[in-house]
Amino acid sequence: MRIVLLTLSFAAVLTNAATAPAADVAAGKAKAELCSGCHGEDGISQTDNIPSLAGQPDQFIQWQLVFFRSGARKSEQMQPIVEQINNDDIRNLGAYFASLAPPKATKPDDDPDLSQKGAQAAVGRRCASCHTDTFAGTKAVARLAGQREEYLLKAMHDYKAGVRSGGGMAAMADVAYPLSEEEITALAHYLAHL
Amino acid sequence: MKSAFNRSILALATILIVGAAGQAGAQDKPLKKYESGNKDFWTHPPDDWFLGDETQAQKGLAPPAGPPTGASDAELAALIKKIKLPAGFKIEVYASGVLAARQMAWGDKGTLFVGSFGLGNVYAISDNGGKKEVKTILKGLNMPTGLAFRDGALYVIAVNRLIKYDDAEANLDKLGGGKVVYDDMPSYAAHGWKYLAADKDGWFYIPFGPPFNIGIPPTSVSQIRRVDPKTGNAELVALGVRNSVGGDVDPRTGKYWFTENARDWMSDDTPSDKLNMISKLGEHFGYPYCHQGDMPDPKFAMDHKCSEFTPPVLNLGAHVAPLGMKFYTGDQFPPEYKNSILIAEHGSWNRHKYQGARIVRVTADPDGKNAKETEFASGWIEGDQGYLGRPDDIILDKDGSILVADDWAGAIYRISYSK
Repeated sequence: MRIVLLTLSFAAVLTNAATAPAADVAAGKAKAELCSGCHGEDGISQTDNIPSLAGQPDQFIQWQLVFFRSGARKSEQMQPIVEQINNDDIRNLGAYFASLAPPKATKPDDDPDLSQKGAQAAVGRRCASCHTDTFAGTKAVARLAGQREEYLLKAMHDYKAGVRSGGGMAAMADVAYPLSEEEITALAHYLAHL
Repeated sequence: MKSAFNRSILALATILIVGAAGQAGAQDKPLKKYESGNKDFWTHPPDDWFLGDETQAQKGLAPPAGPPTGASDAELAALIKKIKLPAGFKIEVYASGVLAARQMAWGDKGTLFVGSFGLGNVYAISDNGGKKEVKTILKGLNMPTGLAFRDGALYVIAVNRLIKYDDAEANLDKLGGGKVVYDDMPSYAAHGWKYLAADKDGWFYIPFGPPFNIGIPPTSVSQIRRVDPKTGNAELVALGVRNSVGGDVDPRTGKYWFTENARDWMSDDTPSDKLNMISKLGEHFGYPYCHQGDMPDPKFAMDHKCSEFTPPVLNLGAHVAPLGMKFYTGDQFPPEYKNSILIAEHGSWNRHKYQGARIVRVTADPDGKNAKETEFASGWIEGDQGYLGRPDDIILDKDGSILVADDWAGAIYRISYSK
């Protein structure tokens, strides 16, 4: 069984059984006004070094907000934002951004050879083990497909430099550390054009 | 003291990837080699440290991440109705909003301290007129899973630092940076999160996991040390231990018993996780050569026999993930519970149908003989791979009830008994 199902079944079980309020996409959309200035309308970023959030897995969004709030992930821009949101907001924002259509890859690919190298690096570095074969992400693991190229570069550099740990199992810091500059460039190009 | 330990590392660790091997011996890829003898290794363990042995049959199995904001009060109210307990026992929610809750420790004045996993928080829970108030007292630590409280001081272990916060209960709002009392530990996160158990002398038993699933461990890990927080002195008490995140001192004998998570990626049903006891200094518990007391590792046995190593007191089952444990020394539970061991099983990730995520009770003679296991509390698993919660630590309360930490639901439960 694919683990994708896990999130679904867990959410379903809890919301049905507990008659707890399900995450509220509309409330998330309203709250997301806090986000759109940087992350763009409908979660598609138009700004360098700011990631698109549209189509990110619900749990990934929630975990990052929780990490920003606890200080486990540090960002001067995000810090004042997360101080304004509670647990319900976090759940609603997760549901909202997950409900949006993911960013479309920039077409055409201006450097297919580089993408080819990126695809090989992704196999060699086992990226799909967590990020899934389509790189759509799942659960707490980020969608990479169609993300802004320069943000992917920034994220990989942050992991490699130990500026960002990647949360619970710390896998990304360990994965990024041995990546060469060539691999990082190729991976970012490949993933941004998926 | 840290550098001295690092300089002593000369081991060359090898690890292998069981390539496309399914259950029925397919072809193996060549051994993969890791250089553990250089300084780089100590800050950056193998990048594939927990997926390195992934097989095609098991692709997609990965540690699941729980709900980031834990379970709401309404969800918890529904959850505890599903928990099955022996007759006469009752479970209730003691505190919610304790996100990623791990090891618990009591302060002398009744504060319950709770560590956490990746969030980096340490919490203090106090009673405010019957209502439990959860306060985050430390933030931004590196996986502060283990806690202890001695002589007014809170001790937190955060991967490679054992930190002491003096007079903690009087300073919950201003604990400061504390004082590092022991740091002779590798800095990597891979199996680097720890647990603290104090003995009667005030020394802590501290486990050191290897930075991968299976391989020849670098020299300073796969062991349990006993550390004096007053002086920073340490002794090596056990070798050949994989990932242990729980243990307790036997009130009958003073000996240290501990849980141990066995290797992954062999199969859904082997090898078994273990309950061990250290009966003499320096015992070797088998890792990586032998699992569950009787199963030589398919690659790493390297001509070792299981008979060379200390067998477990009890095999607890594959992928049940036993973590925090306590000898029951209270008077509230029925008399047969006295000195039996309650173990919080965190549950599987490397198994197609999850098991564990429950509390088991083990009775055993003081020498470890005649060990028997019975299920005590269950019901946290839904379907094949769904969790409602994942118990990870147990502590006794003054009245003889027990508290259980759950890092998935972000909650502490109380389980009590009345006739």
